[in-house]
Amino acid sequence: MALMPKRVKYRKSQRGKMRGNATRTNYVAFGEFGLQSLETKWVTGRQIEAGRVAASHFLERVGRVYIRIFPHKSITKKPLETRMGKGKAEVEQWVACVRPGTVMFEIGGVAENVAKRALARVAHKMPVKCRFVSRRHTIG
Amino acid sequence: MVAKELVLKAELRKKLGSKHSAKVRQSGKIPAVVYGHGQEPEMLSLDEHDFVEGLHHGHRLFDVQFEGKTEKLLVKDIQYDHLGKKIIHTDLIRVDLTERVEVEAPLIFKGTPAGSHEGGLLEEHLDHLEIECTVTEIPEAIDVSVKHLGIGDSIHARDIKLPDGIKLITDPDALLISCRLPAVTAAAPAEEAAEEGEEPTSPEVITERKPKEGEEESEK
Repeated sequence: MALMPKRVKYRKSQRGKMRGNATRTNYVAFGEFGLQSLETKWVTGRQIEAGRVAASHFLERVGRVYIRIFPHKSITKKPLETRMGKGKAEVEQWVACVRPGTVMFEIGGVAENVAKRALARVAHKMPVKCRFVSRRHTIG
Repeated sequence: MVAKELVLKAELRKKLGSKHSAKVRQSGKIPAVVYGHGQEPEMLSLDEHDFVEGLHHGHRLFDVQFEGKTEKLLVKDIQYDHLGKKIIHTDLIRVDLTERVEVEAPLIFKGTPAGSHEGGLLEEHLDHLEIECTVTEIPEAIDVSVKHLGIGDSIHARDIKLPDGIKLITDPDALLISCRLPAVTAAAPAEEAAEEGEEPTSPEVITERKPKEGEEESEK
């Protein structure tokens, strides 16, 4: 089942713009390795679910997969061969707004080579170019 | 521990602001700020290659030459770009060699835990420790062996044996790493539901008006 919110204030939302780079969710926080987006795009709930399934299927219940994005935004679409107007269409899908730098998935509890292969499979399911990142120790 | 001091040449930045900082970065340098010891802060630009090389070799303390003087500076903070690849700015703090400072030392967990052979999952909860030590004693990293960890075992901050002269600042009860059996993932029921063919329902709308009983009757 694709991800979607349980409760929302308004059913339909405006499309908005996605400017700039990720200023949050832009580092590996929970696992040891992550999949970072290099592009700006909407990632649908179905794509996130497909990524999760691909990772958990590859890992065979070893390690842990963290999903760092959630589709909060509803996208509407008019049916085919419909005339324009008559108000905003019905919700078709839910998407997460992903900017360059967003860490979308994380994996912990497995070796680096395993995590790399698992996240490569996830990257195939994503609509954006991705790169593999590992946790960076802080200096301070 | 590594040789702690590295000499870097720096230039004083006279033009400040994001536009001028971007130009500094384009010329292969990193904007930096120096502060501490009650003196006026100074804006510098460091050579990117030398600084990054130094960091990769575990240096935290630098002898920075600028304006005809040399100061001992400790890396206080580093800012990265949005991809976490490139250093865009660094904070350097003035220190004396005898001074005690609070720093974060990264933890490196080594070995394969005994519990992993029984299906245990190693979970890292904290990847650094806050410590207080003299400037010359700052460890590059703290190695922690996890070989003895069985299922249900954990390592707390108090279990880490620190060298003499290093004081732990992190809460001693803080959990660093644990080994446990993997829990049944929360997504498993979702898979089952999908197999059963249940269609996803739309979310509950908080602001939606619900028809009152009286209204329904009047409509009828």
